[in-house]
Amino acid sequence: MMEKANFSDYLNMNKGIKRDSPMPEIKVAFLSNFTINGLPEILKVKSHQESIWIDYYNAPYNQYIQEILNPASGLYKKEPDLIFLLLDVEPFLGEFFFFPYRYSIEQRKDLVKEKIKEIEDFLTILQERSKAKIVINEFLVPAYSSRGILESKQEYGLTESIHKINEQLRDICKNNGRLFTFPLNSFCSHQKSNPLSEPKIYYLTDMKFSTDGLIDLASEYLSYIYPLASKSKKCLVLDLDNTLWGGVVGEDGPEGLKLGPDKEGRPFLDFQKLLLDLFERGIILAINSKNNYEDAMEVIRNHKYMLLREDHFACIKINWQDKATNMKEIAKELEIGLDSLVFLDDDSTNQALIRELVPEVTVIDLPKDVSLYPSIIKNLKFFNLFHITPEDVKRGKMYVDQKKRSLLESEMKDLNTFIKQLQVKVMVRSADESTLDRITQLTQKTNQFNLTTKRYQEEEIYELFKSADHLIKSITVEDKFGDYGTTGVVIVKKDADKRCWHIDTFLLSCRVLGKTVEFALMEDLIKRAKMEGIENIKGHFIPTKKNKPAENFLEECGFVLSKEDDQIKEYTFDFSKEFKTRILVDVEEWKS
Amino acid sequence: MEKLTQLIARILNIDENSIHDASSPETISEWDSLNGILLVIELEKNFNVKFTMDEVMAVKNVSDIKAALKRYDVKAEVIG
Repeated sequence: MMEKANFSDYLNMNKGIKRDSPMPEIKVAFLSNFTINGLPEILKVKSHQESIWIDYYNAPYNQYIQEILNPASGLYKKEPDLIFLLLDVEPFLGEFFFFPYRYSIEQRKDLVKEKIKEIEDFLTILQERSKAKIVINEFLVPAYSSRGILESKQEYGLTESIHKINEQLRDICKNNGRLFTFPLNSFCSHQKSNPLSEPKIYYLTDMKFSTDGLIDLASEYLSYIYPLASKSKKCLVLDLDNTLWGGVVGEDGPEGLKLGPDKEGRPFLDFQKLLLDLFERGIILAINSKNNYEDAMEVIRNHKYMLLREDHFACIKINWQDKATNMKEIAKELEIGLDSLVFLDDDSTNQALIRELVPEVTVIDLPKDVSLYPSIIKNLKFFNLFHITPEDVKRGKMYVDQKKRSLLESEMKDLNTFIKQLQVKVMVRSADESTLDRITQLTQKTNQFNLTTKRYQEEEIYELFKSADHLIKSITVEDKFGDYGTTGVVIVKKDADKRCWHIDTFLLSCRVLGKTVEFALMEDLIKRAKMEGIENIKGHFIPTKKNKPAENFLEECGFVLSKEDDQIKEYTFDFSKEFKTRILVDVEEWKS
Repeated sequence: MEKLTQLIARILNIDENSIHDASSPETISEWDSLNGILLVIELEKNFNVKFTMDEVMAVKNVSDIKAALKRYDVKAEVIG
């Protein structure tokens, strides 16, 4: 294994890196009231290792206030996607930090309010003047007090005041999709080496963090970069022997495996608990193992302490073919990109094989010492998302449901019979505040069955939602195996004269295609238009590299090509025509 | 243990042969304040010593670093 890079290694690496053409670019700004030199460079190098290009702006030393207040500052010129705000508590609180007990309790309470207001105002201005997501470090709670053991008894003492500020800061950020607090206090208490710089360095340079601390902080900050760059991972592919359990089932037998509440079994048990928790958060699990299928399944189905069972795995590859082939099959069967897979295997040969033959897959180096396995899972940063929608949470289970559907499909010869057997229900629901998140996400992520591929930001969807001349519908689909969640969006723009509807967006996640859901949806839309006395429906097809599956859809629904302009096709629906496609699913309006 | 000039060359990312006793932030452009601090941290780690703040402030060039290391009984052959 490569020796861990140190601070100067990162600075040197930063000078040599170049942007490869497919790398997404994220613009990051750093604002602070102390020296953080090196942090942007390290984050840039670490991001580059994940194929993400960072273009950063490090505001001049201790000028965060000017940068925020001046609309023409370098900060705003950069138009950042992400802003990190790092404030050291000492200069932020000033005199109060050193002499808190010169102030009365009432004065201390007021001061806390004042300081919270100050930050809140900064955050408001930042949000108005940029479109960035903003990460603000919590304030570090000091260990020293002149009150000594009595500090914890002080009403609005220094410690309590800082805790209160942190708590209210978290409240401000909690319900705002653009604001995030970084848990600096827990970060500082969980690092192997002291993340704070030694006094000499602090006084000489005003660096609050040690060089190792800055490296660790950059690793944590990477968690915000992944989702911005759409590099978040979806699926964990797991080996079995010496990964999910200790020992080799083919040699040791199910009874001889290390897994359970005893000393040797606990690391594996804890490891599985963490994986199960990720599954419940929506991470898809899969198995890629060289084993006799029956031997391994015996453990998965019947071992007393096995937490991960057959129903947690969306894809199970237990066989003797090479793991690279298995890996490609897993991605194909789950219909997700190889680059959203993460591979966990104790065997370094298998790790090397996947790195060599399927380089898109992220391979994790499992340590020799199994007691470190749980910490490996805790340190995975690339599952982070800015929102977790109900669909995200269900994803792990939804892929397992899909496995069962495929099984039924392979048993059924006739497609129509198969679809009817599924008992698909489509629900069309008017958008409300609780579904706007998911609607936004779908407009950003849906590539294939998407007529216009218009990407919307949360704020834009909200504006459409508020406007009277737009109709936003979300589509929920379920069948007898389970819920697909919200998987489609229709946005219609109504003409002012109430004669014509324009289909602005019509998209469906590819998971629900092939069941006539799309036709049912269009029929529903046409029916509604008729009911409102609309004379015309116009739709567009805007071709992209990926939306071929939607190319002929409007025609299949009975729309007629009315204009073609620079590859953009405009279609019009003729109400004299019958809507012919056979629909095999039920559509109902959401009742709530 | 890394030799002094090797270490300086590595931190400043410059050729070892360009480092002399009189080398200083004035003569080597790479020797900026951040690299200066890195030098302190790396010197302490490599030679297993702890400088005082005054000692760090007193260093103006490579020859001063050598003198400081000698005070901590670092062997002449690694100082170079």
